[in-house]
Amino acid sequence: MRLGRATDGKPVLRLKTGLQIRLGNLGAAGFLGLLAVVVTAVALGVGATRLGIWDLPGILTGGSLSGEQAFALWSVRLPRALIGFMAGWLVAMTGAMLQSLARNPLADPGLFGLSQGSMLMIMLLIVFMPDAPKEAIPLAALAGGLCVAFLLIWLVGGSHSSGLAILLMGIAVETVLSSISSLLILYTPNETSYALSDWLAGSLFQASWTGIAALAPWFLLSLPAAFLIGRALRCYDLGNEMALALGEPIRWSRPAILVIAVLLSSASVTAVGPLIFLGVMAPHLAGFLSPSTGRVRLILSGLTGGILVVGADSLTRGLGGEVALPIGLSLTLLGVPLFIISLRLRALRNMQTD
Amino acid sequence: MRGRFSILAVAFLVLLASLYFNLSTGATSIGPAEVAGALFRFDPENYDHYIVLYQRLPRALIAIYVGVLMASGGLVLQGLTRNPLASPSTLGINAGATLFVVAGAYLFNLGIEAQGGAALAGAVFGFLSCFVVARLAGLSRDPRGLALILSGALISMLFIGIANAFLLSDPAGRTDFLGWVTGNINHVYAARLYRFWWIGALAFAGLLLLARPLTLMTLGHEKAASAGVNVVRVSRLAIAAVMLGAGSAVAICGPVGFVGLVVPHIVRPLAGARFGVNLPASALLGATVCLLADLVARQAFAPFILHTGLIMDLAGGVVFALIVKRYYLSPAVGRHA
Repeated sequence: MRLGRATDGKPVLRLKTGLQIRLGNLGAAGFLGLLAVVVTAVALGVGATRLGIWDLPGILTGGSLSGEQAFALWSVRLPRALIGFMAGWLVAMTGAMLQSLARNPLADPGLFGLSQGSMLMIMLLIVFMPDAPKEAIPLAALAGGLCVAFLLIWLVGGSHSSGLAILLMGIAVETVLSSISSLLILYTPNETSYALSDWLAGSLFQASWTGIAALAPWFLLSLPAAFLIGRALRCYDLGNEMALALGEPIRWSRPAILVIAVLLSSASVTAVGPLIFLGVMAPHLAGFLSPSTGRVRLILSGLTGGILVVGADSLTRGLGGEVALPIGLSLTLLGVPLFIISLRLRALRNMQTD
Repeated sequence: MRGRFSILAVAFLVLLASLYFNLSTGATSIGPAEVAGALFRFDPENYDHYIVLYQRLPRALIAIYVGVLMASGGLVLQGLTRNPLASPSTLGINAGATLFVVAGAYLFNLGIEAQGGAALAGAVFGFLSCFVVARLAGLSRDPRGLALILSGALISMLFIGIANAFLLSDPAGRTDFLGWVTGNINHVYAARLYRFWWIGALAFAGLLLLARPLTLMTLGHEKAASAGVNVVRVSRLAIAAVMLGAGSAVAICGPVGFVGLVVPHIVRPLAGARFGVNLPASALLGATVCLLADLVARQAFAPFILHTGLIMDLAGGVVFALIVKRYYLSPAVGRHA
């Protein structure tokens, strides 16, 4: 392991195996990791039951808690923060993958309708086959997401995916799907409808340890996935022809990456519902913090996504009073302005290059 | 020219026929003699007359009002922005009205009466914010107006998101609004129709008066200006008329999409590009479409009554996708999109 300089003069860390990491990215990852811990600690402290941040070290070293505090910590807040982090990680990573694949900086699993597809399939399963086993739900989510992905590819065709047009097409698909889900909601009984629309808006209310057990494998799977497809994404960033020239087997690696992306996004939809705009926001923020490509970009985006979800959740819980906003909703409220800003930046950049 | 006017006559006859079907079909079928009797010789003793006059007729009138204003609004917006996707529903009018009604009811406890006014204000607000965002996102460099539609979609997501936040905060109040928010033609809202109809009538009359300059403006702003059209004033007046007209329609029955987007595309190949013919033709066709949609919504899953707005949303999304495919993704435009 030795320190060197990259071709652009920035310091890099070279490992014996040939792997090299930029020091800037390493620092950013460390910073984000630290931030994640801090945000989680804050999230554990916010709520109706008083539980200060300064109590946490005591608890970890075997201090005692009142029954109420223990319940708030172990059964409500910790699962919530963990699920939020994992879901945010997965969605952000999916967004980063789609952006490289489509060469479109505005790609997002929510805006492209992938999450809506997963959700609609789950709803159909719940409404029409209430007796179906629990294990069928992730499968339904995956099937729905894949259907939408292939529908979008078929509608748009490969060559146009970089423009705004694919975004409009994604929004059109999303509109159709969400009006079908509203139809379903209107004709379910009142209580079911309320629970469903909570989840439709993306929510952490049902976080529990069983939910974590269901989501954790996907979270763990995303790590080797990031290492496997990171290189390919770097090639795709340069365009299809360049990727082909660099030895990327486009014919099967493109669909494979797409399937992985849909898999990760549908896992997060199953757990918390759709989180629109997170897939655009997180990679952009991560890139702002420290520009990167490939594997590093995936990991940094994932960290940022997790932090955003946990942070937004504790913010809405802290400010919201009795009524907590669903996390998907607060992300939308946060995401639209940021999205508009990134559109603005894009327009400015186009103006400079023309 | 005669062919164009015969199109108007045919469209009018079709409208009358669908009006008749709308009045006569329902849980109890009512014959033509009874329908005519209810309209012209109302007999307070007759139960069928009551149904026609107090349940079905208000519904049908609302459907006609909404259809006329949404379709003509869509036609004018598509002509002005020269964008095939422009319509009251895609440019933030619906979302703005939804937000103001829901927020007004939750924050200031507005009654049914005041909600109509709030919806009107919201429609104007939504439309204006859509334009501001499009300007921010760099509309001026974007010849095909994609940024305008995209900012309309973003504004809709934001406003509907805020409205949803209000709705989720109070489960009890939510059920009252779920119907309106999804766009529902319902005789309950007849009172609002009687209060707002003059706005729509004025707006539509204004658009008809502007028909000639609007037609000239579709040739290009320079050409229109050289033909003596005050381009800026005409577009401002036309946009104001569309905003108020469509806003009043949304205020009556909730956000209704589809009609404003689709009807102009059906009308233009048949009636040509002159707004003098185009505008009445789309108004007639829009009214027909709304009447038929109302009929389908009532009858398709009887005894359940579907929400008209949802059916229209569904159809509107599909057509939106088709238009994107045809105008923005065909090989010839690939370089610009």
